[in-house]
Amino acid sequence: MKTLNAKFQPLLTLIFRLVLGGVLVVAGGIKALSPADSAGAVASYKILPTQIAHIFGYALPWLEVAIGILLIIGLSVRFAAITGGIVMVMFIGAIISVWARGILIDCGCFGGGGAIDPSKAAAAHRAYFIEILRDAGLVLSATYLYFFPYGRLGIEKLTPQI
Amino acid sequence: MAKQAKAQATSGGDNFTRWLVIGMVALVVITGVVFSMMSQSTKASASFAALKDYKLTEAVAATVDPAQGSGIVLNPGSKTQIDVWEDPQCPICKLFEDANGSYLDDLVRTKKATVVFHVLSFLGDESVRTANAQFCAADENHYLDFHKAVYLVQPSLENSGFFTNENLLKIGDYVGLNSKSFIDCVNKGSKLDYVKASYDSMPSYKVTGTPTVFINGKLWERKSPDFNLAEFRLAVEAG
Repeated sequence: MKTLNAKFQPLLTLIFRLVLGGVLVVAGGIKALSPADSAGAVASYKILPTQIAHIFGYALPWLEVAIGILLIIGLSVRFAAITGGIVMVMFIGAIISVWARGILIDCGCFGGGGAIDPSKAAAAHRAYFIEILRDAGLVLSATYLYFFPYGRLGIEKLTPQI
Repeated sequence: MAKQAKAQATSGGDNFTRWLVIGMVALVVITGVVFSMMSQSTKASASFAALKDYKLTEAVAATVDPAQGSGIVLNPGSKTQIDVWEDPQCPICKLFEDANGSYLDDLVRTKKATVVFHVLSFLGDESVRTANAQFCAADENHYLDFHKAVYLVQPSLENSGFFTNENLLKIGDYVGLNSKSFIDCVNKGSKLDYVKASYDSMPSYKVTGTPTVFINGKLWERKSPDFNLAEFRLAVEAG
């Protein structure tokens, strides 16, 4: 296992960087282009006071884009992986929270967001489940990148040891 | 693995680069927030442009009926009665208004139907303020004008700080509602009792969301995915 990881680690690091970074850039980019939707989507979780939720909704997409770009080009991968991982854990917590409180919303993960018609409760719950799985997978990617930040095609190289 | 671990020990060595990256990310985020907030507030003030050419329509006598959940009753005594329950901040209510608002106005003005507007306020403080102003406009017999104007400027975001008393009075100004009694009523929150009574009457009418519409006491259930006038008109005419 160890030797297998040693052999493929640079490639795996690249793959996880592209997966996590790609998701963040796409999700953040879509939301950054429609800030009002993003702010409304955060407010619909009813976790933060509305005005603070709006500011958070304005900030989040740009943070996602910034760390997504860092991951894709391979710069400060460890820092970006920690931040991305924290963001994903936060998303999982937020979705569990709305699910537990019986709130039906579109997660607004890739734009959109807001309340959902009660008649679509089953579909909404299935969506929550898939979102939690997806974000958990991304947390695992981030964890791997924390331990192995250096791989193929990254700007940042291992500092040579003197 | 060993190589990575060593790298971890040394990557902190280049503190400058790391702080530079963190600083850049912070800069991007802050710039983004400022940009987004500015574009939002320009959009909100630009929305008043929709009222620029608004002409105040003929006054329509309005009464608030405590026996009907403190609804605002327009053209009472007609054979057909339509009850509309809405929250001024609710985006779907705006869609209903866009599709059917003028038709409802016509029904009232041509005395073809009694229309009762139940102004709800469950979407937060800004709904409460706006609902109060709508009752004030009813006092001036210009509920229809104010109601229409609020939907014309309704921001896409709820509770974004748009519906302040100042902006509500500005809406009034645009449509031609600027009497002293109206201004006092908005500023003092004179109609908050009605706002509360209206909200409290929801359970007894089994209203759980907005917009909810009753035609002659029967719940109107729309079939089409969007509001369309033809469908609503048919339902009203069928009674």
